[in-house]
Amino acid sequence: MAAFKRKRGGQGPVDKKSKKVKFVADETEAPSENEPEKKNEVTVPAPVSAGKWTNKERVLIFSSRGINFRTRHLMQDLRTMMPHAKADTKMDRKDKLFVINEVCEMKNCNKCLFFEAKKKQDLYMWIANTPHGPSAKFLVQNIHTLAELKMTGNCLKGSRPLLSFDPKFDKDPHFAVLKELFIQTFSTPRYHPKSQPFVDHVFTFTIADKRIWFRNYQIIEEDGSLVEIGPRFVLNLIKLFQGSFGGPTLYENPDFKSPNMHRREIRLAAAAKVRERQMVKELHKIKKSEAKEDLDKDVTADVFVTPAEEKPVHIETEPPQFKEKKKKLCGFKRQRMARR
Amino acid sequence: MSGPILRHFLPTNMEPVEEDEQFGLDSDEEKSDLSDNELQEAFAKGLLKPGMNFMVSAPKKFVNNVAGLKQCLADFRKSLPWVERLDRTNLPVEDIITKAEGKVPTPNNGDVNADDDFQREMFFYRQAQATVLDALPLLNKHGISTKRPDDYFAEMAKSDQHMQKIRKKLISKQMILEKSEKAKKLREQRKFGKKVQIEVLQKRQKEKKAMMTAVKKYQKGMSDKLDFLEGDKKTPGKASQALKKGGNKKGPLNNKRKYKDQKFGFGGKKSGQKWNTKDSFNDVSSFKARVAHAKGGKGGKKGKGGKQNKRPGKSVRKKMKGRS
Repeated sequence: MAAFKRKRGGQGPVDKKSKKVKFVADETEAPSENEPEKKNEVTVPAPVSAGKWTNKERVLIFSSRGINFRTRHLMQDLRTMMPHAKADTKMDRKDKLFVINEVCEMKNCNKCLFFEAKKKQDLYMWIANTPHGPSAKFLVQNIHTLAELKMTGNCLKGSRPLLSFDPKFDKDPHFAVLKELFIQTFSTPRYHPKSQPFVDHVFTFTIADKRIWFRNYQIIEEDGSLVEIGPRFVLNLIKLFQGSFGGPTLYENPDFKSPNMHRREIRLAAAAKVRERQMVKELHKIKKSEAKEDLDKDVTADVFVTPAEEKPVHIETEPPQFKEKKKKLCGFKRQRMARR
Repeated sequence: MSGPILRHFLPTNMEPVEEDEQFGLDSDEEKSDLSDNELQEAFAKGLLKPGMNFMVSAPKKFVNNVAGLKQCLADFRKSLPWVERLDRTNLPVEDIITKAEGKVPTPNNGDVNADDDFQREMFFYRQAQATVLDALPLLNKHGISTKRPDDYFAEMAKSDQHMQKIRKKLISKQMILEKSEKAKKLREQRKFGKKVQIEVLQKRQKEKKAMMTAVKKYQKGMSDKLDFLEGDKKTPGKASQALKKGGNKKGPLNNKRKYKDQKFGFGGKKSGQKWNTKDSFNDVSSFKARVAHAKGGKGGKKGKGGKQNKRPGKSVRKKMKGRS
């Protein structure tokens, strides 16, 4: 971090016209914009100066216990992507959810992304505006992290994102609330000390199949060619609350089916199939073991008996007359038939 | 959450719970709640219809507090300038590819089939593209650039090591593809090469035979021209002459032939296959040089004692064995 503390509200010791060099940093040290280095070699836009950062938005990203590696990586990736995010230790599941509000206050954050894992299988995500504002609970599916080799894009760490929303977000009031929540949470404040001045990636939120799909693309060229950076996930809204981690329910998603119910349905379907097969087998057995009646008279014996009148027996004493006919074949049979 | 709901029509003041179309209740447990007397009374009043009555759970009501949502939105909305938020709401860019292929694009642009992976991802991609294209001029106006200069080094979201891994993977995939392509091509080439080889051999044998017949003719005095020594000069001329002569082949009853061809295709020509046509005569693929050049075959064998192809007799072999 910066070696000396910045004075708030005042002009930093930085000359706006100075040019600086930034080094490839392997450590997590953020490029500090306040140490004046008077090397004029490189072209760098005017640095972020103190006092301009007004939008004090801070997000607390943390989770409960019992998460697996993918969730952990997802959280890390989100922290990488959002320089205005803070981390915290895992919360014990025994504590009630409104404790999170206090945690956020202690860390001086006004938004929170809380990941909760149940049964080591299902991941739920809470997004909340902590002091009073609304909060929403989602079921997270289809998580792919930054580390996947198929996501070939890359972006500056801490650069500000463009946010892209589906027009469907404007149609329903609950989606409008969610949209506002996403905008406030995911957009990096301008002049944030850890942010980079370039805009080189875009977050997309799309509604498809009644779920919200999140993607992150890198902007390669100004003509709009993009490459995916990651992470990517799908959010399935469960409930929207008026308060933060509590309060009256404002909206409940009718299409949401809890993963437990889903698994149960699958199991029941499988069980029903097995039971049906067993029943059919039993029926077969019963049928086979039933005493069958002996048929001594064939019921269908006289189906083909067609009575016809008897012809008188005619014995021929002379051989039939043989007539010779010389046939002239003009053309072959087909032609003859056609001609006829 | 809401279990089976009973509808009581009893004089006791229990409120009827909503929307249960089936009157009545049928469950052993429930009967204990309501005594037979009460059921009889209800039946007498005509509230219980005869027939099978069963429990129906009321459909769950999902909360959708529109007014509350709007209020909430109004409360916590922050009116920040666009530069702080950088958000756009837009439909995806026109799908050029499906248009070019002439397919009808998805009927309603807003609804994408989530199961078709490729289409869905392309939809998201195009939405992001539309945003980028929209937002770039606005960003330029505010003085924020999207291109970072070449000498600007800063920490990236993914480390260089990781990007190397990605690059290696892409390269390896490409290599595998190329290798498989090469292998396929090689296989094709080999097949083709074999065909060419056979054709060349046949051609050579044909020429040889033609040469031999010409020589024989000259020897026997049938032709006194030494044209065959000139080689290939005459052969194209002769070939073209032959073609001209054997061009039309009209014989009696060609209608029958034509009809049969028409009806059965050329698979029906089985009966006339074995004639000595010019083509079959010129076909030297069944030519065995060893047999042909055995120099007289049977006659020669008898004359010379037949030792060329034949295995020597037992006594001779014994003698040979004894010698060695």
